[in-house]
Amino acid sequence: MSDYLLATLGVYGVPVLFVALLVGSAGVPLPASLLLVAAGSFVEQGELDLWPVLALSAAGAIAGDNIGYAVGRWGGRRVTRRLGRLVGGEKKIEAAEAWLKRREGVGVFLSRWLLTPLGPVVNLTAGATRYAWPRFLLYDVLGEALWVALYVLLGKFFSDRVQALNDVLGDLTWAVVGLVAAALLGVLLFKHLREPDAD
Amino acid sequence: MKRLGRRRWLILIAFLLAASFAGLFAVRTVRHALYWSRHRDEAIRPWMSVPYVARSYRVPPPVLYRAINLEPVPRDRRPLREIALEQNRPVEALAADLEKVIGEFRAHPERFPPPPPPHQSEGRRTP
Repeated sequence: MSDYLLATLGVYGVPVLFVALLVGSAGVPLPASLLLVAAGSFVEQGELDLWPVLALSAAGAIAGDNIGYAVGRWGGRRVTRRLGRLVGGEKKIEAAEAWLKRREGVGVFLSRWLLTPLGPVVNLTAGATRYAWPRFLLYDVLGEALWVALYVLLGKFFSDRVQALNDVLGDLTWAVVGLVAAALLGVLLFKHLREPDAD
Repeated sequence: MKRLGRRRWLILIAFLLAASFAGLFAVRTVRHALYWSRHRDEAIRPWMSVPYVARSYRVPPPVLYRAINLEPVPRDRRPLREIALEQNRPVEALAADLEKVIGEFRAHPERFPPPPPPHQSEGRRTP
């Protein structure tokens, strides 16, 4: 899949980025980060121009996020739950929902570029919990712009080692997701330990 | 008491799982980064173009083009998959030819003709 997408990017250029990032951000598991890093490398080699890469990638990702938001908002909770199972389970949806309510924009912003595996779930839950769309869009645009710029520029800088860079970034992202989850659970555990027993 | 105790245990287990998960991926990140700092070469893949392989392996592109029977000018930027399709052979065979010439170039760079001046080697993508 990755090889095929990267080869297609090499032949057709930026439209591939737009479509892949749209579909990936809407929840279909695609190697979007790898595509961005590879696009940065292609920019460095003079095969693609930087600004169209940045603009179309961000546009695709933002459009995909808003599709997820719309599905959550108008598809109802039943659809959200069904889709939630596809993207990682109902529990993940509930956790993201609680997080989103507490952290609001920070949740949307961080799930765009730092906690990227949570992005599709956050989109769905933002819609389902009727999180204000203009705010969602604002944090979405900021986060996606940062993600796209960061990955493309890293790919441009390390243009001869796309796959190695992607491996490192992929593992680092999951390590951060695990750390954030551990920190939240740690705080929860601490609160429970401080509370007197219920009975 | 029993319910709250059970909940505490569940949170503790979830916390330990999340911490282990984070630790596992942190170790993988460090391992990948260390490997990366020691080995610059990437395995040749079908999506790569000849200029990308040349850049990754620090070999002049004309050396690679000639090894797979292509003219160095204009610069062909197609993925190896496309070139292999055109040449009607598996992409693995193409990659093997490239690896062979890379090894030869690294062992005896003096046996290869010097690359042409930069303005001659530039060219657009040939679809």
